[in-house]
Amino acid sequence: MKPTQALFRRVRRLQLTTKQVNKGFYKGTGSGSMGEHTKHGGFVINWNKVRTYVVPLNLKDFKLTPFVTRNMKPTKGRFEGDPKGALSGEAYLEKWKKENGDD
Amino acid sequence: MSTPAALRPAARWCLQPSRMYSVPPTFLLPSLAANQQSSSFSSTSKSLYPRDNNRERGVSTQRRTGLRQPVSVSNNPLPQPILDPKKRSKVQVDETHGLWDFFHSKDKPMNTPEEDFAHGRPWSAEELRAKSWEDLHALWYMCCKERNRIVTEGGERARLGAGYGDHEANRRDMTVRRTQRAIKQVLTERYYSWRDAEEVAKDDPEISFDGDGPIYIPQAFEEDSVEGTSSKEELATAKRAQKKVQKEPIADDFYESEAVHAKGRKDV
Repeated sequence: MKPTQALFRRVRRLQLTTKQVNKGFYKGTGSGSMGEHTKHGGFVINWNKVRTYVVPLNLKDFKLTPFVTRNMKPTKGRFEGDPKGALSGEAYLEKWKKENGDD
Repeated sequence: MSTPAALRPAARWCLQPSRMYSVPPTFLLPSLAANQQSSSFSSTSKSLYPRDNNRERGVSTQRRTGLRQPVSVSNNPLPQPILDPKKRSKVQVDETHGLWDFFHSKDKPMNTPEEDFAHGRPWSAEELRAKSWEDLHALWYMCCKERNRIVTEGGERARLGAGYGDHEANRRDMTVRRTQRAIKQVLTERYYSWRDAEEVAKDDPEISFDGDGPIYIPQAFEEDSVEGTSSKEELATAKRAQKKVQKEPIADDFYESEAVHAKGRKDV
């Protein structure tokens, strides 16, 4: 779709509708698909698509909050002495050898 | 219908003094009498033929007729409303119900803007890199619960028309979302480094992917004691011996930043 020059900005800021595009535009409700419609009008739930939320076990005793005290300056640019970045493949492998290599 | 009412005008007409002379002829007398049906048209009892099949015929709330049949609660007296709030019995609520988690406190429906604004800064990715998977998982859930609280109290604020507080709530929400962003960043980093580590491991002489036996064969140990023998049974027994030696905790720089942990704990 190409709006005229005068409308260009305003129209682009609006939500896309089915009138503006060709076939294949599915608006949806943001809920995601959980199965398939049958040709007889039914709906078959695909349990592999149904969301499963795993709640951590120790959530009651968990002490951290989404906030950190402002008395502590945010830690920036700390890469644990690894020249290749935050966590390189080599560092990961070394760590794996230390912790899980014997399993 | 009733005979005297119907006869009255005719009698008055007859009794008028001016008309005394014009008495109607006797053959008109049956017509002067009311149309009174002495016997019903149908010989069947009328009660067997109600007017229609409406079972609620005659029941009216405006006239307060009540129901036609008694019901199970007909004998129970109506409860009287208690107008004094102090005399009302307290509603029993589960103090540990999970829905309490949707509010910051139990005694008020929402935080004040000052309370909402009194929060720390978001976690940075550098601080979260030291955390384990379980910690990050739980922290993500704490973020979700905090955002639920903010949204619920925003809804309450709108419902009650409580006024200001949206700005503070939005700032708080933004802080939580930044923490969530940092968690995602850390997990993405770990995922990519895991992929990189797989590539690195293919060239690593200490790691064998041939399927049987241990994947990780420590090189230094092999050179020290086994000396050239590379049969897998010997290696496995040697590894078991080495595992016993390695029982003491390994100094771990990744999980070392307890200071960050402790400081985060103190926060609101």
